[in-house]
Amino acid sequence: MQETLLLPLIIALPLLGFVILGLFGKRIGEPTAGWLASLLVLGSFLLGLFVLLQGGGKWTLSEWLPGIPFSLNLDNLSGVMLMVVAGVGFLIHVWAIGYMHGDPGYSRFFSYFNLFIAAMLVLILGDSLPVVFIGWEGVGLASYLLIGFWYQERVNADSARKAFIVNRIGDLGFLLAMGLLWSMFGTLSISELVEKVEAGGYSFTTLTLAGFFLLIGAIGKSAQVPLMVWLPDAMAGPTPVSALIHAATMVTAGVYLLVRHAFMLHDDAFLSGLIVAIGLLTAFYGALCSLGQWDIKRIVAYTTLSQLGFMFVAVGVGAYWVAIFHIVTHAFFKALMFMASGSVIHALGGEQDVRKMGGMRKYLPATHLHGLIATFASGGLVPLAGFWSKDAILAYSFEYGPWLWFLMLVASVLAALYSIRWYVVVFWGDYRGKEHPHESPPVMLWPNHILSVGALGVGFIGLPYVIDYKNFIEPFLTKAIGDFPHEKLPVLTEWVLILTSAVVAIAALAWGFRFFQQKMPAWYERFQAAALQGFYADALYNTLLVNPAKGLAELLFGGDRGLLAGFAGLGNLMGGLGSLLARLETGSLRFYLAGLLVALVLLVGWGVMR
Amino acid sequence: MIWLVASALLFSIGAYGALTRRTAILVFLSIELMLNAAALSLISFSKLTGSLDAQVVVLFIIAIAAAEVAVGLGLIVAIFRRRETTSVDELRQLRG
Amino acid sequence: MSVGFWEILALLLLAGSAIAVVRLQNAVHAAIALIANFLVVAGVYVALEARFVAMVQIIVYAGAIVVLFLFVIMLLSAANANVGQDLMPRLPWVAGLGALGLAGVLIFAVTRFQPPTGPPSLGGGLPQALGPLLYDPEKWLYALLAVGFLLLVATVAAVVLVEPERIIAATGHSAHPRRDGQPNPPLAEQKDEKAVVKR
Repeated sequence: MQETLLLPLIIALPLLGFVILGLFGKRIGEPTAGWLASLLVLGSFLLGLFVLLQGGGKWTLSEWLPGIPFSLNLDNLSGVMLMVVAGVGFLIHVWAIGYMHGDPGYSRFFSYFNLFIAAMLVLILGDSLPVVFIGWEGVGLASYLLIGFWYQERVNADSARKAFIVNRIGDLGFLLAMGLLWSMFGTLSISELVEKVEAGGYSFTTLTLAGFFLLIGAIGKSAQVPLMVWLPDAMAGPTPVSALIHAATMVTAGVYLLVRHAFMLHDDAFLSGLIVAIGLLTAFYGALCSLGQWDIKRIVAYTTLSQLGFMFVAVGVGAYWVAIFHIVTHAFFKALMFMASGSVIHALGGEQDVRKMGGMRKYLPATHLHGLIATFASGGLVPLAGFWSKDAILAYSFEYGPWLWFLMLVASVLAALYSIRWYVVVFWGDYRGKEHPHESPPVMLWPNHILSVGALGVGFIGLPYVIDYKNFIEPFLTKAIGDFPHEKLPVLTEWVLILTSAVVAIAALAWGFRFFQQKMPAWYERFQAAALQGFYADALYNTLLVNPAKGLAELLFGGDRGLLAGFAGLGNLMGGLGSLLARLETGSLRFYLAGLLVALVLLVGWGVMR
Repeated sequence: MIWLVASALLFSIGAYGALTRRTAILVFLSIELMLNAAALSLISFSKLTGSLDAQVVVLFIIAIAAAEVAVGLGLIVAIFRRRETTSVDELRQLRG
Repeated sequence: MSVGFWEILALLLLAGSAIAVVRLQNAVHAAIALIANFLVVAGVYVALEARFVAMVQIIVYAGAIVVLFLFVIMLLSAANANVGQDLMPRLPWVAGLGALGLAGVLIFAVTRFQPPTGPPSLGGGLPQALGPLLYDPEKWLYALLAVGFLLLVATVAAVVLVEPERIIAATGHSAHPRRDGQPNPPLAEQKDEKAVVKR
């Protein structure tokens, strides 16, 4: 761990792109702007890889705020996250060069995109919590700007606001946690907090409270129940945004934050249990909602919710490295899934309704292959990426309690079902639309090729211990997270679990493949109607929270109006006086002169008499 | 002391002229009279207090009066060219 | 200061010529009355030990400035004082009363002035006495420079005001640029249609 100036440079590169494209983007034009943005992100990736291979690094600017240094830290954990964010981010940047082709806001898009990468890197690399918070807010801002990218349409702008406001609740939690930790330990540097927490001598309840506030922050950012309502609406942004921000990177920031603070969580049964409950709820909610959607991007968005729930469960059961492992595999297959969806949308000239798709495997052979890989990875087919990370979560869940293992197994069955449903309605059957589909250009295909390879193979860095193959990622990550020993399951149990989940996944995929090609039975239609509305979560929130708040606002506004009427009356009075005075302004030169002389007489007279 | 009184008289007569004259040039002439009255009072004070500074100020008054006349007469000529009149009562645009 | 024959005479001359300036109906006559007034004032200056100022008064005020007035009066053929319509016919009475009041207040004010006893000599107000003051950086030097600059600006301004067409011809720029950045139309079109032509 040496001090290195490369860390701020990693962040500065995309930030530079944001500034350049923001100021001169229109003049740089298409496609140079997109390539510039992509190359800067690639630069960040390569720099990060370089530092990571050297064993990490840190960089500190002491006395940034009184008592708080501006410190960045690239250890194995943040290094892995950086690889995902910059690596997948680069691929999505390149893909967006093709997807955003011809958009009037082309350079604006890439400038926001670079801003997002920069903010995300700050979030990941930040060692002191205020620095993390800057990134935290920065990604929120970039997300807001990009969801509302086509802001001329009211729906998009509303969705952006919704995402921002719901995230605000989580941000409040983050702020409260920072305040509490500061008052407890007098430092906000994560690496110092680790030591102080280990040293003991504090109220355990207060620490639980701080962890709870952090959890609220994570819930907001990672769209967990009950703050999940913003993520489906966030699909109003362009598809690359959904792929990068709302699937692969930003929404995993909450999980990352919790893993970073594993030292606060792992001893705390209450918080761990809460996280498991929230994750489980979200996994089911997302999976069930996804099964009812008709909008291709909303389908994928709800699958993201479900997978984020998996990650939360992993954090809750203490499998911190597994959560990060799942972030990595998920980044690959979910980005692939989104970009395959985007390729289909692109091919159909902007159509997002799956009822007007179908049969795409004949028209878009390459994209069909990508979609197939993404489906299998997401559905947990052996031996694709998604299987290994999901299986690790299941194994740790079994340690936590067999009942949890069973519930998670059901959730993963649902995951297989929604994945295969997405695949079937888009790529199988007959084409139901009117547009003439065309395969995407190479600039959009190549990133998907690379992601496909990742979705196929990235799981092999984290094989279970019973398979005689080096598990690369667990020791690598535990070095940074901290080693929380747990009993390994007996070899036999482990094998049984692996085989069960493999067989169940295959069965679910096969059954779903047949089921979703038929006409839907009546019970499914009824279920679908409820799922389409997200089980009325929005309506519930509107009744319970939004409308009472609106009522209060109306009331206050009424009071304001009365006050304003008073001010308006005062204004009219002054206006009347003014118009009286204005009569003096006759325009006659001699009249003015007479006034001047009268004033002179009065002034001199006053001066003399005094 | 008597010259201070004379200055006051000149000033008042000039003010009367500035009010009653109806052509811009004659209003201007009356104002010159007032300016001169002020200069006269300064010279009187100079004599009464024994300060030469007041005399210097009068020099400045004369110089500034020259500049003022140049611009003022330029304005009158410019207005005359566009409006064909020097009557101040017909120039009533100076209002809101 | 005693009030003797010369003082009375000068006072009468001053008041008479001033009233002539404001009452004569021929502008040329009024201007000449103003010259007379200035000359009397110059005489008073000499009596008050301000000889250099007196010379400047004669040369610049009586000589240059009033001649400029005469020149403009004749150029515009504006000798007649009764131009246009009198919109305030009763103003002379009001103005007369006002002027009397003003004179009263001012005279009351100046009579209350208490001069210090035994003032030092003014050196006759000669250039030898004024020069060091005028060119002393701690006294009036910068004011002098500022006034010099002001005179320059006034000269340029007078030219610009009176000869806008020539400025355009010489520089290609309008002397009076319009708000909207368009070039000025020729002067004939600029003429205000509502302008009253009464001579």
